[in-house]
Amino acid sequence: MFITDMMKTDLIAVRPETTLVDAIQLMETGNFRHLPVIDGDGKLVGMVTDRDMRSAKPSTFLSEEEYQLTFDKVMQHTVGEIMTTELLTVAPYFTLQDALLVMRQKKVGALPVVDEKGRLTGIMSTRDLLKAFVNIMGIGEPGTLLCILVNEQPGQLKKIVDIVTEENVSMGSVLVARDWDEKKRAIFPYLLTNNVIAIKKKLLDQGFELIDPMGWYLGHLPQKK
Amino acid sequence: MNTTGFVFDERYLLHKTFNGHPECAERLLSIIGGLSTAGLLEKLMLIKAEPADQRWIEAVHNIRYIMKFEEACLWGLPDFDHADNSICRDTYEVAQLAVGGVLKAIDAVMQGEVTNAFCAVRPPGHHAEVNQALGFCYFNNVAIGARYLQRQYGVDKVCIIDFDVHHGNGTQHIFDTDNTVFYYSIHEHPSFAYPGTGREFETGYSGGEGFTLNSTILPGRGDEEYREKLLGDLVPAFESFAPEAVLLSAGFDAHESDLMSGTSLTTEGYDFINDTIMELVNTHTNGKVVSVLEGGYQLDILPVLVTNHIRKLMGV
Ligand SMILES: [Zn+2]
Repeated sequence: MFITDMMKTDLIAVRPETTLVDAIQLMETGNFRHLPVIDGDGKLVGMVTDRDMRSAKPSTFLSEEEYQLTFDKVMQHTVGEIMTTELLTVAPYFTLQDALLVMRQKKVGALPVVDEKGRLTGIMSTRDLLKAFVNIMGIGEPGTLLCILVNEQPGQLKKIVDIVTEENVSMGSVLVARDWDEKKRAIFPYLLTNNVIAIKKKLLDQGFELIDPMGWYLGHLPQKK
Repeated sequence: MNTTGFVFDERYLLHKTFNGHPECAERLLSIIGGLSTAGLLEKLMLIKAEPADQRWIEAVHNIRYIMKFEEACLWGLPDFDHADNSICRDTYEVAQLAVGGVLKAIDAVMQGEVTNAFCAVRPPGHHAEVNQALGFCYFNNVAIGARYLQRQYGVDKVCIIDFDVHHGNGTQHIFDTDNTVFYYSIHEHPSFAYPGTGREFETGYSGGEGFTLNSTILPGRGDEEYREKLLGDLVPAFESFAPEAVLLSAGFDAHESDLMSGTSLTTEGYDFINDTIMELVNTHTNGKVVSVLEGGYQLDILPVLVTNHIRKLMGV
């Protein structure tokens, strides 16, 4: 999955000479947390975040009158003066995995995506990432989660997939927990159906163990000493 | 002892699902068998079902959806909207008759012929959305019943209590923005169970904010958690809403022996649900309640649970 499939592309960008008062209005009406700054060729030159904006505002300890006066003055400054220019950008060929790892390691909430000429093509934010995960887990569609314990040996997943396929059921996703116990894995297929009885019966007939996921959860809670 | 109405029609057996499908005609036969063995069948007042007038179905469902469903059945397609929703040529008419049975039961209760009623109908309804069939459901029997109560009998406030192990997504969505119908559902947690909706933070929105309430039960949990949630969530919400009539989406698939779910509610746990609800309707709605069958797929336990449920309705 490339980030071009999930990033936001209908962007609102500003120029470095845009005043802070205009920029704040854009961010508030559009509910953006990140505002990209581009030059006349569409090249990304900086970013302004809602945090940059907050720290540009005068102190709230000032009297109302002083606050308004300073505020009006500050707001006539330009975006170019407060924007971040040391940018972490990514390329359109980045995958979801890349974005996930970069955002976690660099602790950023949004990644501008630029083409080989440095032009802004999109922004990938944690919001887009969350949406992508709902999609990947298949939980946007009605379904049932099964919890199956299998021996750590090849071919187990295939058997499960075969049973599900025989019953003409689609899978929304499959998650695997490797650290269940030493020689076992837990497999969690999310089946896009309400009709799970036949599948459960076949799994039991073939020797699979259907587990109570709460057993695992409780096993991982801190134990009383 | 209450006079309890009972809706059943042999034509409900004509909705044939594919071989091995859990929502099968044998479900109703097992219920009739259970009631007759228990000697209850002759003590109930049989209510004759009639196909619902289409305008009542249109009170909830989109007309194009209704027509699409009818066409799918007439063409002899194997399923409708999703492979789960197995159909046959008779399914459309049976679904009309299921709605009609619920409306007749409401008539009988509202006209004082019976105190309350149980509708042994199929196909079930609570997953059916305004324009989508889901989870074996085509027409939302209970939702249509709520609209009927309001428009035919001028009832202002209706409460729907849904104790099927699955969340009634259809019913919730139909009344999402409505503050005249309170929807309460207790079901297995949506991270594990179909259809994946009904989290506790779903409470209705715009005008209907606060008129939807969901209680979730984690897999493997049963009687104790049901007791806690019913007393802690349902009872106070019901009392503050103060409905004039109550409809039940009565699902019996939360039982520990029903493979459809991961909850482990016992037969006694179901009785606690029955007792809690009966106490609420007896003190708030003069006992007016119409109970409508939803799920329940374990054919040995289903008749036992339905018989117990009907005993509580009769007050015996
Ligand atoms: Zn159910």
